[in-house]
Amino acid sequence: MRIDVDALKCIGCMACEMACGYHRDDAFALLSSCIVMYRTREKKDYFGVVVKEEESLNIARPEGLEIRRIGVTEESSDSGQKKEGDASAKPMLLREPCDLCSGMKYGPMCVKICPVSAISLVE
Amino acid sequence: MDLETGQISEDELDDELVGQKIGGVGITTWLYEAHKDSDPIVLGAGLLTGTLFPASALGVISAKSPRTGGLTHSPFTLKAGMELKYTGFDYVVIMGKSEKPVFLWLHDGVADIQDASEFWGADVWSTTDSIRKSMGDDLIQTLVIGPAGELGSDLAQICVNYWASGDCWGFGKVFGQKNLKSVALRGMGLLEIADPEDFVDQCFNVLETIKHGAFAGKNGVEDILTAMGEKDVKEWIAPFVHRHSACYNTPYPTNTFIYLDENPKTLTEPSEQEPGFLINDIGALLALKKAGLSAESAGRVLKACAKYGIDPTAVAEVTAKSGQKDLEQIEKSFADLKGPVSDPKAKKFSSWTPGRPLFSDFGLSDDSAYGDWWVRRQAVAYLFGIHPIFANMAPEISEELLIEMFNKGTGLTLSQETLDKAIADVCL
Repeated sequence: MRIDVDALKCIGCMACEMACGYHRDDAFALLSSCIVMYRTREKKDYFGVVVKEEESLNIARPEGLEIRRIGVTEESSDSGQKKEGDASAKPMLLREPCDLCSGMKYGPMCVKICPVSAISLVE
Repeated sequence: MDLETGQISEDELDDELVGQKIGGVGITTWLYEAHKDSDPIVLGAGLLTGTLFPASALGVISAKSPRTGGLTHSPFTLKAGMELKYTGFDYVVIMGKSEKPVFLWLHDGVADIQDASEFWGADVWSTTDSIRKSMGDDLIQTLVIGPAGELGSDLAQICVNYWASGDCWGFGKVFGQKNLKSVALRGMGLLEIADPEDFVDQCFNVLETIKHGAFAGKNGVEDILTAMGEKDVKEWIAPFVHRHSACYNTPYPTNTFIYLDENPKTLTEPSEQEPGFLINDIGALLALKKAGLSAESAGRVLKACAKYGIDPTAVAEVTAKSGQKDLEQIEKSFADLKGPVSDPKAKKFSSWTPGRPLFSDFGLSDDSAYGDWWVRRQAVAYLFGIHPIFANMAPEISEELLIEMFNKGTGLTLSQETLDKAIADVCL
């Protein structure tokens, strides 16, 4: 099971990021979230969502999903374009990978909090 | 923060004050009155701002308006209200006038006054770019003025990052008079809740109820205007719409991004650095349309207003009266734009929020009931930190519910009587 994000449905509200932070810290905070909205291209309105998994960063971009293997320099992207990393992506490598909100009665909190059903749990 | 002396002092937020004034505009008003002699400008976050409660996006600026002469309140949203909360400062009182241009840098429990001489004279967009670049963080949120504020225009607006805000009071001039170019916000703080499990349970329950409400499936400023009876706005602007986006944790995307110099259907990152504009001012867009501008021209005027840091609604009003449709001429008029411009319609809260319910009738039988309802609804939103436009869409976010969230969140006890008094205090 893993978290799947439809970046075209995403409205960039960051609720998923805060919900994940709550799971990690038992308080509201953003520093430990393993799901993060990337929003550094603000003037271009180019945004999406990054999910850190055990071995990869899954970057849901408007044009499609990009999977970056952690520790591997090569990238695979269904858009075929190499992307410059966001500053916000750097600390992602230091964060705990997604555990699907293990131990939380709600299940994955990012799925539950998304107001537009852009996040789902898939096989 | 005293800009004249450079002195900064910090106080703990007192439970008794929260129990009486709640938060947001309740406490910014209290702080304003306490420092009134120093002509302060006060920033604040709502009680629920930055939590998982739906639409908890609001930050508030309170100051004496150059346009009305009275204490007024301006909302700021996008991600800036949330970011203020996580800087570690719920409220900031800015007093005095700096000798030289400065910006305030609030981050991680630290407040600094920094030199802004190199940004003075720059427009809003390049100032935000420069601050982010100099601090090495593209996620810094800025409350920022452009040339309009520096030159002392009564119509100067405090913008958020690159975009318009709800400042219809001329607060940009107040920043300029203080030689204050910007307040830069970034926080990695942590917000503890008295009863977190119950609080989060209720947040999920509320979201589950409201996300299927009357606004479900609607997007952006154009659907809001359609709900207000402006049926042809959607078709007018559709060729330029790129995406819709929401302010922090707000279930309805109140912002419409239009591409003016790129194909709006483009999904990949555009090569153009500044391809368009984020429209969040419903009234200004409508006024420009009614002035006879094309959607593209309206977008370019709004973008120019945001760079110059001037209230787009005022610009739209003057444009409509003059009949001017030439973009260059409209932009040239910014420097001398003094009037005739109507006073903001509301007395305390920004007319950036439409003066009526949206998508839902809130049980109001006719238009004559909107006035008092709107003032009370906005007061409640500004106290608790609820996005003020979304507050007019979601009747499920009732005063009773907000009292319940207050009690779960703070561990204090708020009664309807105390809420009524807090509302009355900020509406006087």
